[in-house]
Amino acid sequence: MRLGFLFISAALILGGGFSIMAAAYGLGGFVEGLGVEHLQMHGLSSLTNIAILMLGGVMVLATLLTMAERKWSALIQNRVGPNRIRVPIPGLKNNALFGLPHIAPDVLKMLSKEAFRPKAANKFLFSLAPMLAFGPVFALFAIVPAGPTLEVFGNKVVMAAANPDFGLLYLFAIASLAVYGTSLAGWSSNNKFALLGGIRASSQMISYEVGLGLSLVGMMIAFSTVRLAGAGGMAESQVAYLWSARLGSFDIGLPQWGIFLQPLGFLLFFAASFAETKRAPFDSPEGESEIVGYFLEYSGMQFGMFMISEFVEVVVLSGVLVTIFFGAWWLPFGNEWLQAQGLHSVLLGAIYGMVFWVKVVVLIFLQLLIRWTFPRFRYDQVQNLGWKILLPVGLANLFVTGALILWDPSLRYLALFGFVVMGFFAFLTLTPPRQVRQAEAAADDHGGHGHGGGHDDHAHDAHALPSSSH
Amino acid sequence: MANLTHHDDHGHGPIKQKQLIEEDIRERSYVPELVKGLAVTAKHFWKNLIGERDANTNVLERKGTSGVVTVNYPEEKVDYPDGYRGLHRLVPREDGKPRCVACYMCATICPAQCIYIEAGEYDSGDDAAESRVIEKYPKQFVIDELRCIVCGLCVDACPKDAIRMDTYTHTPSEYNRQGFVYDIPRLLKGPAVTHPSDPWYKRGNSEMPDHQHKEAHTRITAGNAALAQRSTNLVEVVKFTKP
Repeated sequence: MRLGFLFISAALILGGGFSIMAAAYGLGGFVEGLGVEHLQMHGLSSLTNIAILMLGGVMVLATLLTMAERKWSALIQNRVGPNRIRVPIPGLKNNALFGLPHIAPDVLKMLSKEAFRPKAANKFLFSLAPMLAFGPVFALFAIVPAGPTLEVFGNKVVMAAANPDFGLLYLFAIASLAVYGTSLAGWSSNNKFALLGGIRASSQMISYEVGLGLSLVGMMIAFSTVRLAGAGGMAESQVAYLWSARLGSFDIGLPQWGIFLQPLGFLLFFAASFAETKRAPFDSPEGESEIVGYFLEYSGMQFGMFMISEFVEVVVLSGVLVTIFFGAWWLPFGNEWLQAQGLHSVLLGAIYGMVFWVKVVVLIFLQLLIRWTFPRFRYDQVQNLGWKILLPVGLANLFVTGALILWDPSLRYLALFGFVVMGFFAFLTLTPPRQVRQAEAAADDHGGHGHGGGHDDHAHDAHALPSSSH
Repeated sequence: MANLTHHDDHGHGPIKQKQLIEEDIRERSYVPELVKGLAVTAKHFWKNLIGERDANTNVLERKGTSGVVTVNYPEEKVDYPDGYRGLHRLVPREDGKPRCVACYMCATICPAQCIYIEAGEYDSGDDAAESRVIEKYPKQFVIDELRCIVCGLCVDACPKDAIRMDTYTHTPSEYNRQGFVYDIPRLLKGPAVTHPSDPWYKRGNSEMPDHQHKEAHTRITAGNAALAQRSTNLVEVVKFTKP
């Protein structure tokens, strides 16, 4: 019964991604053709991409996320989660439908509540702040390609709302704008607690921003580009294999995905961009449960803008991560075989787009898992992390990456170094910490082994490990 | 990054130094501990997502693979414990009328003054079965459950075992205050209760032998096991079946 529902939801995700992308490619090709024919201009398909990818894909996913966050967190914490609303659909009358019907009253509540504004607040900035928080986050997705560039009905369709040459720089520029909304919200509310929240947000932004930029430089060097979409962009480059083999016409191998080339860069970027989303463990700007946040004075849909911008940011961050580090829309193997099948371009694009959205959903799950696992970093701990860990490690990663690429432009040495890093972390994860080992040794001592020998072991351990880690 | 010690922040004295977590690159580099934490939460997530849920309201005896311990309240209800003071009921006699004789004991002792009784008198000339042994009956018996503080004094005060709180339900919610005012038709429910000392057994045409009529024992208690044993066939101290 439960597994049946699981299959249904998996089918819904796959089918949703497939049909959205089929519509995006079909309509994009059609509109592009209209533009070329009547207006003599290219790139009209950006309009359909905005409508379908950003409004249809990102916003729908973000809306679903409001419920997924509540339901998934419930499952993580051994709870049931929202399940009270039952819709009288024949056959599903007493089914909570995963709590999805709760979205409608949530939205209605947000929209119909009074948008309260304190008398002493700065009216203009107070109304501007939610838009400033939401706008940049939403605009980020414009450069994320959700599928390959294909010829549809004889017209070239780029599956991103925009494909500027400055690609990732746009990402950095726009992403750091979002903090204006946050700190303005804190300041303009004329409330000291909101102001403190806004200040925490700005200090956090200063802490992670440098690490955020540095962490991606390695990827820019590796692919010699800052573009995401289009030919020669980061997304297209990741289809190539580092090592490959063939099974008949089917190709297998290790693709040059960012996660293999730059596992350290991925960790740094993930941490920094998690701080960007202002979600736990980096939610000290709001910290809704203990310290009051920057949106203290907001209510109704103005608060809703802050909330939905957080969820949009989760989706967008997943999209960016997938594009840069997880091979965008490419399958891990069999891409050459699939492209050689002579499928209609709409069908091929829909399949690849579906792969992209599935990867996005998986990363969204990872982000929610992280958000519900880790406790909040304190104000000063975020700064320590940003300046003392992310920045130096990012610099070191940059130098090593540059040297390895100089040594071997085929990126294979870089991948080998990536495996060494991953193996190092795997080793650390799988071996018990020193305290545990000491406790085990102490237990062995009591179990009848010579006490003196055990004591010597301790002293040796205690001296040896810190010096080796320095 | 491993040598970012926090010695400078805290430990000055040797005692404090000892209490600090000793440094290990596994903990200082965050990542391994984070991965372990993620594994724990992910395990809970998938277990609860895929696992079969056991709806047993006794959570400790659940056998399902899901770790969720919630009881879905309106659909599933945990039984109240024995002796739970719940919603009142007026105890019926075998003939379906209330055992109450309108003595006002409960209304008098009630600290919240939530019981209203209007007494009626049986016509002594009437040949109806109970008229010769019972003089009064409640014309109206009303409890305002919103005022009731559920202290149970009315149950203790009643000399006729006519009011009980053994329904094992709490007062259900209503849409208006008048709905919480319970009158005889709503209060009179549950299994009938008979005691050997009930006055109608004293009548001449009773089939009961005289020596069993002991007025003092209006209730069967555990302390009076001999009497309970003697009159098992007559006494029906029924516990209200839980819904």
